[in-house]
Amino acid sequence: MHLWMLLMFLGWCFTEMEAGPGAAMSTQTNGDRFKIEGRAIVPGVKTQDWVSTARVLVDGEEHVGFLRTDGSFAVNDVPSGSYVVEVVTPTYRFDPVRVDITSKGKMRYARLVNYIKTSEVIRQPYPLQIRSSGPHSYFMKRETWGWTDFLMNPMVMMMVLPLLIIVLLPKVVNTNDPEMRKEMEQSMNMLNPNPELPDVSELMTKLFSGSKGSSKAGSSSKGTRPAAKRR
Amino acid sequence: MAKLILLWLKCVILYNAVGAVFEDQVGKFDWRQQYVGKVRFSHFDTHVQSSKKVLVATENNVFAALNTRTGELFWRHVDKSGPEGNIDALLHHGQDAILVVGNGRLLRSWDVNVGGLNWEIVLDSGSFQKACLVGQQGTVKNVAVLKKNIISLHYLSNGHQKWIENLPESETVDYQTVYSGGNGEVYALGIVPHSHVVIIAYSTDDGEIIKQVILFINDSIKKIHLLASCAVIGQGVLICVDSATPSLYMCDLHLDTHDLQMTQIPLSCLLLYYTELYPFFINLFSAETGRRLLDTTLIFVMDPNGGKPEKIYIQPFLKKDDSVGYRAMVQTEDHTLTFIQQPGRVMWTREEALSDVVTMEMVDLPLTGTQAELEGEFGKKADGLMSMVFKRLSSQLILLQAWIAHLWKLFYDARKPRSQVKNEVTIENLSRDEFNLQKMMVMVTASGKLFGIDSKTGSILWRHYLEDVPSNAAFKLMVQRTTAHFPHPPQCTLLIKDQDTGLTTLHVFNPIFGKKSHVNPPALPQPILQSFLLPLMDQDYAKVLLLVDDQYKVSAFPSTKNVLQQLQEMASSIFFYLVDSSQGRLSGYRLRTDLSTEQIWEVVIPMEIQRIVSVKGKRPNEHVHSQGRVMGDRSVLYKYLNPNLLAVVTESTDTHQERSFVGIILIDGVTGRIIHEAVQRKARGPVHVVHSENWVVYEYWSTKSRRNEFSVIELYEGMELYNSTVFSSLDRPHAPQVLQQSYIFPSAISTMEATLTEKGITSRHLLIGLPSGGILSLPKMFLDPRRPEIVSEQSREENLIPYAPELMIRTEWFINYNQSISRVRGIHTSPSGLESTCLVVAYGLDIYQTRVYPSKQFDVLKDDYDYMLISSVLLALFFATMISKRLAEVKLLNRAWR
Repeated sequence: MHLWMLLMFLGWCFTEMEAGPGAAMSTQTNGDRFKIEGRAIVPGVKTQDWVSTARVLVDGEEHVGFLRTDGSFAVNDVPSGSYVVEVVTPTYRFDPVRVDITSKGKMRYARLVNYIKTSEVIRQPYPLQIRSSGPHSYFMKRETWGWTDFLMNPMVMMMVLPLLIIVLLPKVVNTNDPEMRKEMEQSMNMLNPNPELPDVSELMTKLFSGSKGSSKAGSSSKGTRPAAKRR
Repeated sequence: MAKLILLWLKCVILYNAVGAVFEDQVGKFDWRQQYVGKVRFSHFDTHVQSSKKVLVATENNVFAALNTRTGELFWRHVDKSGPEGNIDALLHHGQDAILVVGNGRLLRSWDVNVGGLNWEIVLDSGSFQKACLVGQQGTVKNVAVLKKNIISLHYLSNGHQKWIENLPESETVDYQTVYSGGNGEVYALGIVPHSHVVIIAYSTDDGEIIKQVILFINDSIKKIHLLASCAVIGQGVLICVDSATPSLYMCDLHLDTHDLQMTQIPLSCLLLYYTELYPFFINLFSAETGRRLLDTTLIFVMDPNGGKPEKIYIQPFLKKDDSVGYRAMVQTEDHTLTFIQQPGRVMWTREEALSDVVTMEMVDLPLTGTQAELEGEFGKKADGLMSMVFKRLSSQLILLQAWIAHLWKLFYDARKPRSQVKNEVTIENLSRDEFNLQKMMVMVTASGKLFGIDSKTGSILWRHYLEDVPSNAAFKLMVQRTTAHFPHPPQCTLLIKDQDTGLTTLHVFNPIFGKKSHVNPPALPQPILQSFLLPLMDQDYAKVLLLVDDQYKVSAFPSTKNVLQQLQEMASSIFFYLVDSSQGRLSGYRLRTDLSTEQIWEVVIPMEIQRIVSVKGKRPNEHVHSQGRVMGDRSVLYKYLNPNLLAVVTESTDTHQERSFVGIILIDGVTGRIIHEAVQRKARGPVHVVHSENWVVYEYWSTKSRRNEFSVIELYEGMELYNSTVFSSLDRPHAPQVLQQSYIFPSAISTMEATLTEKGITSRHLLIGLPSGGILSLPKMFLDPRRPEIVSEQSREENLIPYAPELMIRTEWFINYNQSISRVRGIHTSPSGLESTCLVVAYGLDIYQTRVYPSKQFDVLKDDYDYMLISSVLLALFFATMISKRLAEVKLLNRAWR
């Protein structure tokens, strides 16, 4: 029973819709013109501040209306038919509403705009009450630089974690244990199979220390190796 | 399902950033200029002494308040264009401004301070004549509206009708004006041609006729039109001006009925006069005595590139010493408003002609002297090693000199306070910038005034008023020679065609300086049907313009021997088409060597069923970088890139919503072969089309579902290319594959254009002008007929967005953020020197210039590039190495000591 009711309702809408524009054509010659009335509200903002930049557009620029100083509007001289009514301001966003005017001009009803299912009806109050859903967002947010972004960066993570391991591991593992040391030396040798290959870091330090202290740096870097081995 | 959501997320993230504006970019490279149009009525707001407003109502159906000090807009209301929004009258009282709109259909009252509407009422039908304010005992409470056969009185506070009366004998008497003197009476003045004047007085309270007077007048002013040359001034004195026998006629309306007669005052000169020679004078006369007031002469020099003065609006005021002072707003023929203060000082000018831009071009700026010198070095022939080295060194020296001069100027400017530093752009210091982002915008307006505007700042660098341009002229602007050919000046040609007669004149000028070129354009005695630029150049590097007249004879401009010879050689490969939309005929022609033509094809579209609305070819300066699209399986789908393809849009003549349709036909312009034909049933126009690369996008109104829809057609050659080196229309045996898809668009659109870049590598966007004033930058990838309904591995590989019926309008995609542009009529896109950047100019009532980056700025560092971060990181690393080196040294030393 319920379903049947729904079907009936939809069917009625269809016929209503078909009648609308067809009738509009005939009435245009008669000169029967009607009025779309309503009110636009921006919560928390004085109407004087935004009405001078606002317009009411009916089906694009087919019919144009202006807002009164109290936010209400009336678009005069509209023939019967089905229209999308939109309040346009550069600052605030209003949702469009579809208004249907029957050929007699008496039955008007408003509904939400749905371009995909054009026959679907979600009733809206008439005279229209169009409430702004907030200011337009025109701008993209710039990516701002913060410490958390920096720290959570994978590159930084890759740098910081090994550093932590290098600093913390010797503390955790007892290096004084001779067996342990032996094991570590072995693993180091495994890691560096070719001792003849020049070390990249060494090269870089040579390069950076410049001509002034090249010999000194060279000798000192040579000196470190034996020192480390002696320990 | 999860995958699908993921994909969607990816899409959203990907396309979020595309085409958006960042908040800190506001005003950095974009500007907007707002206009109102040619002024029809104007009133100075005088009810408050300190008020700086002047109200203007214009022929573009705009009502606005201007600041008298600066000429800027306080507020502006743009009504529907066309006769329904036409402003018939403007009255002003205190805080209220009363407008009569749409041939007396609507009466509106505006609050002048806020710019909001007080009330709006619908008037009874009837042709509007005149409206006036009606006062009683010093306060104005009513407004009277006179129509062809009725007179009505309305309350000023809410617009309600007080009374309405039929005018007696309205068939014979031509009522033209209405007047009230503030004594409880309203006078309606009518004229019976060649006979007498009728004056009827109504009571303000109930609309009763108090008295009715017939005034016989002498022969000389019988032809006077009351509206045009008569005015009621002061305490009910009717004044008529007769310019044939320079004289004024006066008549007091309040006198007894028997004494009423017109007195004639001969005048040596009229109220406002100007000499044919510039400068131009204004004198004030007393209305009571007709004597000239002393010290009120104002002399100012007119712009020699402007038109003659047409209208003048005076704002008189009493100075502190009780003498009369005034300011004047002068409107000239070229729609310029000039506001002048007394000793002839121009406070501001508004170029209202720019509210009606018809066509425009962007021309590269010339190189500076030093740049040209450098360029010249490579152009000349090599003459010995030593001289080349010397030349190189000298040019480097010049560059160094210029750089030092620039540094010195920067230093010099930095010392001065900021307010004094003027970076004004003048024609002299114009030069091309590094990336060719600054260009000269050459704009052609409907009034016949040409402008040269700097695209970076929006300042008008030159203006040139073309006199005797027919009112219904069609314009076509062509760049014949760019600035690239240094010793030769750049050259633009404007084709002005009278649409009634088809007769055409050419105006040849230099687009950088606006001066008329010394090159004499040919006289064209025959109506011109078609004109086009050939890629051929004469010996002075000017492209050849071909004009086809109604005898199908072709003439060339420039028509030197060299050009004619080239034309003869090329003739067999020059084709052109003609469109006759009144006959529904499209025809293709080929040039013969003797510059006559032969018809090679003809397509007739039956006029009874449909009519041709528009024919769109591709833009000649468009480059396509990639020949094909790589598919998901790594094969290539080649594009059908036919440079001669025309998109013909037709609309059905039957406008019934069930039977109307929109058709699109793709025709090869050389062979006349119909490549594809598509019909959209239950649809009607207006149709907006963009035709580029291998696709056509068009928008129409679907009458069935009552919504705007977009449709895209893409043409592909298939998996292999027939002839990859060159495209020839005469040798393409295979018909292209055609793909088409349609989408719902949730708004009406005003105009549409595609972005254009230097090499065509950057992805394309569609720029869509909306009636709300926004310009939407919609990525072309949303309008791709290969968008799949079911997502597959391959479509994901190709980065195709799954099909969704509705296209979104996101305000983040508005390239003009809150700088809305009223009544966008056209969008002009132009490539810059940077591949990522496209210059955009939108014009309508306003002009807006900006840059768009359809694929983001991939070739320059972004605006938000963090120089601070990178330099601080570098510095920190440097110091860290220094410190650690020092520490290492200390450690070594300590160890050595051990």
